[in-house]
Amino acid sequence: MIAFDHVGKRYRSLFGREVRALDDFTIELHAGEVFGVAGPNGAGKSTLISLLLGYLGPTEGSIRIAGLDPRRYVEAHGISYLSELVSIQPAWRTVEALKRYALLAGVPARSRDARVEQVIEWMGLGEHRAKRVKQLSKGNLQRLGLAQALLCEERVIVLDEPTHGLDPVWTQRFRDVVTALRREDRVILIASHNLDELARLADRVGIMDHGRLQRVVDVRAGTEQGGEDRTPYRIAIARGGELVTTVFPGARAIGQGEYQLDGLTLDAVNAGLAALIARGALVTMVYPVHSMLEQQFREAVGIGEGTT
Amino acid sequence: MSRGRVGAYALWQLRDYLKDRGVPTLIVATLSAYLGLSPILERLPRLGDPVPARLLQRFGTPEAVYAARMAEFNFMFLRSILGTLVFLGALFAMNGIVANDRKQGFFRFLFAKPVSPSRYYGQAFFVHWVGYMMVMALLGVLYGFVVWPVLTQPLLLVIALMFVAYSGIAFLLSAAARWDWMSLVAVSILATFAWSRFGESTHPLAKLLYLLPPLHRSDEVYAAVSGTPILAAGPPPAIPWPILGWLAGYGVACYLAGLVVLRHRRLAIV
Repeated sequence: MIAFDHVGKRYRSLFGREVRALDDFTIELHAGEVFGVAGPNGAGKSTLISLLLGYLGPTEGSIRIAGLDPRRYVEAHGISYLSELVSIQPAWRTVEALKRYALLAGVPARSRDARVEQVIEWMGLGEHRAKRVKQLSKGNLQRLGLAQALLCEERVIVLDEPTHGLDPVWTQRFRDVVTALRREDRVILIASHNLDELARLADRVGIMDHGRLQRVVDVRAGTEQGGEDRTPYRIAIARGGELVTTVFPGARAIGQGEYQLDGLTLDAVNAGLAALIARGALVTMVYPVHSMLEQQFREAVGIGEGTT
Repeated sequence: MSRGRVGAYALWQLRDYLKDRGVPTLIVATLSAYLGLSPILERLPRLGDPVPARLLQRFGTPEAVYAARMAEFNFMFLRSILGTLVFLGALFAMNGIVANDRKQGFFRFLFAKPVSPSRYYGQAFFVHWVGYMMVMALLGVLYGFVVWPVLTQPLLLVIALMFVAYSGIAFLLSAAARWDWMSLVAVSILATFAWSRFGESTHPLAKLLYLLPPLHRSDEVYAAVSGTPILAAGPPPAIPWPILGWLAGYGVACYLAGLVVLRHRRLAIV
């Protein structure tokens, strides 16, 4: 559905210095897929999205959406898009902004008002409908941005830092929204710094750094193959701490009754915990130091264990 | 085939123009008109003023003399204000028409919809033109109530075409550059200076002047449409249509070039 073929984007500064924002980016995104894009600041995520919407043109390679140049695709079909910074005319009122965007999105006149009311309800903006955009809090503005993206049933959805500024309740609701948006003929692309969010929502996650796609992590496969995952885990013990090093010889005490277990498969961790509990230890907590995706991310962008 | 209802969006664009630009244009134009009027206000004729015999002989009745004097007053007023009003109106109408959305990032949601930027802004140009003419007509009607009727078809036509002359240039600058109002003022000053300084030159390079807008000729247009100093002798000046055509044609060419820029220039600023 979306094909990036050796896409590169170079900028030239005022003094002629060349900046490579994107380099040899190649990937295909398939219909029915939720694809995550992760990367540190300046990795090229925003450039990638601007290229996908046709707001920038590539200096090398090509991008095709359903076989069309991005700008031609957008002008013909539209893309549901939430940008990282929600920029809407500050003097517009919430409901007015949505009516305008609905008109431009091509929502038919007979269902336009109903659709606007539906997204207002969906995003919990009812009490803010008459407020001007400049009066909205950061979270409400983000919800308005998401509401305008959901006015039309587009086949391509691009969400750039979608939970930026949302409180925990709305962050959870956003995940429900994405789940509801999944469709066989639709691609959803989510760019986020929040790896936990991507791990929950995406099927695959592309990790970018220095403008390059460093690796693509198949999140679903990773979850299914949890037995091979050697993510470090930490356990907290309320009773029987002296038993830990006998069951897990490599365990490191890190204080306050917690121990770190490195280089073990999930199966080995489970077996050891069973042994500990059988010997009378009271385990109060088990958690991964990094998720599988975070581990992959750290490796891809070259962050070691000792680095933050 | 685009699905977005850009045509229907014209009503929102007109509302935006009237609220954000029309009202300031009206206020600034009224203040400018007042400043233009105040030095000549003491020469405003009154119906009971004594009428010289030669004028009475020429016009027949005191009312006809009064009407002729008011027409002359209008002439003086328009000569002093018309050029400024049209230029400021065009500046207000076109300033940032594209560049603001680009700088503020408003383009991001607008053009993720099935909407072409050239269609959207091309339409905005026409909508602002209509809005501007509404404001100018309103000003003319107000002036007519307070002073003396001034609106004529040729005057409205000249205002409309001179608006195109300035606005076309402003539209191109806004599509291509960031600092569009400053660019428009700079281009206007440069063009007027270059034409006045080198317009008579026979040097081959002087032909390059034709790349610049012929704004130095605009005063001839305003002078002709302002009316006739009726009390003076001589026939009323004809509107110089070729010059007006040159000016408006230059504006149209710039507008079309602006559409081409919008078609090919990417919207994001990096």
